[in-house]
Amino acid sequence: MPIKVPKDREVPFGAITPAPVKQQELFITSNWRIVRPVIDHEKCTRCFTCYASCPDSCWSYNEKEDQMEWNWRFCKGCQICIHECPVDAISAVPELDFEDGVVRLEKPF
Amino acid sequence: MAKVTEITVWTRGVVMDKEARDVANAFAQAAKMEGKFIQAFDNYEDLPDRVLVTTRKYARISDEEIEMKYLYTNGHPDVVVIVEPTIIKGINVLKGMPEGGLLVVNTNRPIDYMLKFIPNADVLGAIATVDADGISGIRTVDFSGSEGGVDAAGVGAGIAAPILGAMCRVTGMVKKENLAKVISDVASMERGYNEVKLQKFRKPRSEYFWGS
Repeated sequence: MPIKVPKDREVPFGAITPAPVKQQELFITSNWRIVRPVIDHEKCTRCFTCYASCPDSCWSYNEKEDQMEWNWRFCKGCQICIHECPVDAISAVPELDFEDGVVRLEKPF
Repeated sequence: MAKVTEITVWTRGVVMDKEARDVANAFAQAAKMEGKFIQAFDNYEDLPDRVLVTTRKYARISDEEIEMKYLYTNGHPDVVVIVEPTIIKGINVLKGMPEGGLLVVNTNRPIDYMLKFIPNADVLGAIATVDADGISGIRTVDFSGSEGGVDAAGVGAGIAAPILGAMCRVTGMVKKENLAKVISDVASMERGYNEVKLQKFRKPRSEYFWGS
């Protein structure tokens, strides 16, 4: 008898998620954040310390704009980039100051 | 079967885990001292041992024996308590709530501002806010794996105390004197009791009476 799995709990065969992908939409964790890192592009020296220190690779370099980009979908608000930034270009702002930027989920991840 | 009041406490893993557990346990314990039948337990569905992940604690209070013991989640919470206010932005905390339920939020922001983040706020019978972080900003951050179980501060210290005081006043389910016997930080509980802000919404068919 086949096991009935709810639609929201379904995973691909063998529980293998599609890879390699840059962003895994199955693992959005934006609702873990209490504070959000906000970067000041004027102060930023493009030293890539935030890029290297982020455990979830949420910082990337946008070559066209010549500035660091923050990925709001997977940032968990751990504040490591804020502490590591040598020029204090990143600051912690409460997530509730912003209207958007969090995926509203029905269940905790 | 008598009406079972279901209380769901939303919190974040590790950093506010102990406080939320204290809210559920101490509130149920105070109700037990008044002869009510209670159940209170932790996170059966969630994985709480990750920092900042959203997780739940549950309590149930009834005048008669509770016959739903094998259900580990509150499907229809009458009271939802938010220990960390950012949770209302990322989770549908009012899922399954009957018409006219109560939402208690630990925040210092205005109630109207918080309601902007709740698209399904029309089911609410009342919303209450208490600035527990402002009254007592103590949190038990414990990475030893004991989940605050060996904490010398005892049950109901830190931000749990003002939240419990606010719940006591708004729900009217337990007496303040009984709550004071259970928890350790009575002064913060009194401040939460006095400083809670309540906004009621008219719900003609609702059977709840929030606020005193």
